[in-house]
Amino acid sequence: MERYTLKRGRSIMIKLSSVYKVFFPGTPNEILALRNINLHIRPGDFITVIGSNGAGKSTLLKVISGGEMADEGRITIAGKDVTDCPEHQRAADLGRIDQNPLTGTAAEMTIEENLALAYLRGKKRGLGLAVIGNRQKYFREVLAETGLGLEERLQTPVGTLSGGQRQALALVMATLALPKLLLLDEHTAALDPQAARQIMETTARLVQAKSLITLMITHNMEQALSFGNRLMMMHRGRIVLDIAQEEKRQLSVPQLIAKFTAASGSALADDRMLLEKEGFSG
Amino acid sequence: MENVLISGLQQGLIYGFMALGVLLTFCLLGFPDLTVEGTFPLGAAITAKAMVEGGDPLLAVLLGAVAGALAGAATGLMHTRLKVNNILAGILTTSAIYTVMLRSMGRPNTSLLGYEDFYTQVLSLCGIAEGKFSFVATQIAVIVILAVMVVAVRLLLGWFLRTDLGLTIRAAGNNEKMLSALGVDVNQTKMLTLVLANFLVGLSGALACQMQGFADVGMGIGVLVAAIASVILGQMLFGRQSLSRLLTGVLLGSILYRALLALGLRLNLPAEDFKLVTALLVLLALTMPKFQLRKTKKRMFAAKTRRGNNHGEVYLEAGAEHHD
Repeated sequence: MERYTLKRGRSIMIKLSSVYKVFFPGTPNEILALRNINLHIRPGDFITVIGSNGAGKSTLLKVISGGEMADEGRITIAGKDVTDCPEHQRAADLGRIDQNPLTGTAAEMTIEENLALAYLRGKKRGLGLAVIGNRQKYFREVLAETGLGLEERLQTPVGTLSGGQRQALALVMATLALPKLLLLDEHTAALDPQAARQIMETTARLVQAKSLITLMITHNMEQALSFGNRLMMMHRGRIVLDIAQEEKRQLSVPQLIAKFTAASGSALADDRMLLEKEGFSG
Repeated sequence: MENVLISGLQQGLIYGFMALGVLLTFCLLGFPDLTVEGTFPLGAAITAKAMVEGGDPLLAVLLGAVAGALAGAATGLMHTRLKVNNILAGILTTSAIYTVMLRSMGRPNTSLLGYEDFYTQVLSLCGIAEGKFSFVATQIAVIVILAVMVVAVRLLLGWFLRTDLGLTIRAAGNNEKMLSALGVDVNQTKMLTLVLANFLVGLSGALACQMQGFADVGMGIGVLVAAIASVILGQMLFGRQSLSRLLTGVLLGSILYRALLALGLRLNLPAEDFKLVTALLVLLALTMPKFQLRKTKKRMFAAKTRRGNNHGEVYLEAGAEHHD
């Protein structure tokens, strides 16, 4: 791992400088999804990201992963400029999970085949058999850590698993090859509350155990406060708040909302966020 | 009746190579590769040309297969580099192949009458000289040769699709976005599959040409739907639960399909109706699971609504679109 400490604080692992992203340029639907994003992510960072609908949270993750290309600005990962690299060339450094459990796994392939695909993330793939004894043993071990009993079902096609199980598998796959950065895009949002809690616990445990640098989007304010050591708020393509660990620890949900209103000049508008907020107070 | 059996087995095995190729692109990669309608006669035409030029039959068959692989590469390059729609890329290649065949043969067909064919050569290599055994015994020996070749290819494919590289083909058909996020250049995967599949289709055309003793630019018409019918027959009989079943099923489907055709001819059924009947059968086989799926979906949605799980519904819909 390229983790080392400089004399003046921690080194920068991922760096975004003046990144812009425009959708539908030149049309009436033009959206400036990212405006002048400057972001330094350092080893040890577990950043939670919240923001209104259309704030650019997902776009931010996508320009880092290569799912979308930045229109302007530079992106570097561990010192390497990846701004113009297509997604598959950045993959060695990144693990990513989406909201939709279907996007992180291959349905018609077995659990062990999915893991074998993730095992060689960003590496050359040759003519050796993908599922062999010592890999199987390793897969069983990492699956056992999720506590869902998936280690006993290595030959099961992934399509037959529940959303929560698939997302747990996606999580294992994303972290299997030790990425430099783990990108989570509301990865528990499509799950029922119990599965969501379980996946979130597993996430926190994996991030801790493998000391993964993590960027997690969530619409759940409590989640944003209770997980991670840094909290960012986005609004209309900008990062309007970047709260460090000490301050974050003392914040409550209402305080956080007040801070957001002050910083953005408008009320926090995420349908699900508001629904859940009412749920908390009532 | 024994002629029906012999012809069905021989044709079924020869077209089995093609069915395996079609399985690779259509079923595993999810790429509707229409190139095969051109690759099949191309394999035949190049083989015939090589034979007429005095080439060794074995070499001629190999050249036919390689020509097929090149055609696959052409479609692949059009689709991946020039971003041409996958179906259109196949149509363009097929059209271009027509000229290639006419130019290489110099006319629309080439007869191989009087040339020692591939099968005779292999038989004599095995010590079975022509005329030494009865017609039936010789034909059975040909079947054995073809069966050994098909089984070898089937085993090789079965192994390859389980390797790290082969796994990417199936993953590309399942979830392209995931594969890309795992660091695989999906374009390369598509190229690899198209080359491999069309190699098999070219081989199939070359072997068919050697069997019937001529090549004709029109011999590709309808071969794709026949191959799809074989694939579907195989899946109906053997299921698609595992890769092994899929691969073996396709071969048995191909033999069954050709045996049915041979039987139809034997019973003096009108041959001009065969393609329509095949098309209808394929249509039926394709739409049946859709109706079942609709029923299943209705059940699922009813269950989700009862539970009042809004997120679940959204996710189900997105999932359904994703898979269609």
